[in-house]
Amino acid sequence: MKICAILRVVPDLVEDIEINEEELIPFAYIANERDEHAVEEALILKEKAGGTVDVLGVVDEDTAGDIDDALAMAYAKGADNLIKAILSRKTYRRYEVAKALAGFLKDKNYDVIIPGIQAIDAFAGTLGGMLARCMRIPYIGGAIEIEAQDGALSVKKELGGGLLGEYRVSLPAVVGVVSAERPLKFVPFARLKKAMKEAKVEEVDVEVPEVEGVKVTRYYEPPKPEITLLEGEPEEIADKLVEVLREVSVL
Amino acid sequence: MNILVFAEVIENEVQEITYELVGKANQLADKVVTLAVGEADVNSINSDVIQVEGESSPLNYVVVKKVFEELKPSAVFFGNTLAGIDVAAQFAADMALPIATMVTDVSVDGDGFVATSVAYGGKVMVDLALKSPAVFVVNRGSFPAEDGKGSAKSVKKLDIEIEDGIEFAGYIKPEVEDIDISKADIVVSVGRGIGDEANIELAEELAEVLGGVVSGSRPVVDSGWLPKTRQVGRSGKTVAGKLYLALGISGATEHIEGVKAKNVIAVNIDRNAPIFRVSRCGAVADVLELVPLLIERIKEVKGE
Ligand SMILES: Cc1cc2nc3c(=O)[nH]c(=O)nc-3n(C[C@H](O)[C@H](O)[C@H](O)COP(=O)(O)OP(=O)(O)OC[C@H]3O[C@@H](n4cnc5c(N)ncnc54)[C@H](O)[C@@H]3O)c2cc1C
Ligand SMILES: Nc1ncnc2c1ncn2[C@@H]1O[C@H](COP(=O)(O)O)[C@@H](O)[C@H]1O
Repeated sequence: MKICAILRVVPDLVEDIEINEEELIPFAYIANERDEHAVEEALILKEKAGGTVDVLGVVDEDTAGDIDDALAMAYAKGADNLIKAILSRKTYRRYEVAKALAGFLKDKNYDVIIPGIQAIDAFAGTLGGMLARCMRIPYIGGAIEIEAQDGALSVKKELGGGLLGEYRVSLPAVVGVVSAERPLKFVPFARLKKAMKEAKVEEVDVEVPEVEGVKVTRYYEPPKPEITLLEGEPEEIADKLVEVLREVSVL
Repeated sequence: MNILVFAEVIENEVQEITYELVGKANQLADKVVTLAVGEADVNSINSDVIQVEGESSPLNYVVVKKVFEELKPSAVFFGNTLAGIDVAAQFAADMALPIATMVTDVSVDGDGFVATSVAYGGKVMVDLALKSPAVFVVNRGSFPAEDGKGSAKSVKKLDIEIEDGIEFAGYIKPEVEDIDISKADIVVSVGRGIGDEANIELAEELAEVLGGVVSGSRPVVDSGWLPKTRQVGRSGKTVAGKLYLALGISGATEHIEGVKAKNVIAVNIDRNAPIFRVSRCGAVADVLELVPLLIERIKEVKGE
């Protein structure tokens, strides 16, 4: 089976993000968590069904270097080929990105394309479905398990509240992964360093078309909460928390 | 103006989010039509209803497309759910319509719409201007459900062929475990901020002195530190007891959807963590420092 996982970097929320009305200026980038699960699930599917896993890193010109570690990590875990698609674009709209990626992917003959179900920025949650429509192949999101089954896939999809749905999906298809079926594999630092040296990354430039219809008018911070914030020495905070627990008659 | 609402039907039941969407749509539009796929009882939806036979499937974008072409609404509302977004994204792409996701508010603005979305795990809000017709994928809990409940103005049954490619094979029910966090009154919940599997013990100890149970966020469950049955949020369970004590949880939308406890107390080192916005009280502290002290104090108070 010829598998392609999609990986991108997003602003690291542990660091501060500078916000003004027109733009967000992140401090650092990390791999999108759901995409790390997508890569893991792609590798699990390869283990089960055989084949190859290509990892398609999707970046902008200014984040092109930030994905190298994540690509090397995928390589260390067993990815076969690494590709970096460098987008030239003006917006973050997924429809535009999907159109551009579909153009790049259409003659690559992948059986399964696996993005993470959702990135954390605006317009989230739609790339997989849009990519599938642009490529005219089936899409299913919310996957937590993928099995190969007589030339098709059996996919377990989350439906919320612990409930799953089981679906049979014909190939080729796009499958949006929410979590891999097992915890992300740990890669020792020495192996990662080796992968960083060995991994070859093919770079391609992808032109993103502009489509009218929606634009960001402003970014802003959510209103600050009107709650009691306890700050200071941990001892004091512990004392105050005990009082609060009394107030809500837990103690 | 017309608005089409795509109902969330799971296991032949109309889900609460549907009423939230219908309520908002009724405020904005003269005519609201709700499209429900499945056998569900649709009589309490406060709008006209079109009911189509079928199952919850990503292929239902085809059904939405057919109804959209007939009705020509100015907007289509979907719930931001695991089923809804599969359909919404494909429908919008297929029709090349503008779409906003993670929406918490929508208003009409001239010929178009303005939507507010949450982004970056709840740390940033975005206002978007969309041309009509547009697609909105709305977060749960953004609008009151009462306004969408009532009695259906009309119910029309339609048969719509959908294409091949995806077949529904059946539901798989949630696992059951000895502890049901959705029934517990006091829940101590751990997030990625707990740092390490070994530290889960701290939460267990705190839960014990408080007489509660331990739950967690998705990353903690994904890492295998807690069983799947202990996950709180969109994909997991909803807690609705007296106290939810969130330790090192950022408060992403998908998590908060499962937090309906009367009192939320959060401990987080980041004073801008979104979890504080839904808390009664927030402690800006390192869980690993604070929790041992807290356990000690509680034991003192209880005279242990
Ligand atoms: C379709 C879908 C469904 C999802 N379903 C769910 C779901 O059911 N449940 C769920 O939880 N998530 C769900 N998620 C994931 C969700 O989007 C978030 O990624 C997740 O909730 C984040 O978990 P967290 O808060 O533990 O981790 P993080 O977001 O990484 O937050 C960790 C927090 O800990 C704080 N912290 C770090 N160290 C310390 C310390 N020493 N002391 C105190 N605080 C500390 C940090 O400041 C941070 O706020 C879903 C996502 C998708 C896309
Ligand atoms: N602007 C973007 N450019 C490239 N890839 C993206 C972009 N946004 C999201 N993705 C990827 O698309 C998948 C789904 O993201 P989302 O559109 O948020 O659903 C994930 O693999 C993301 O990392």
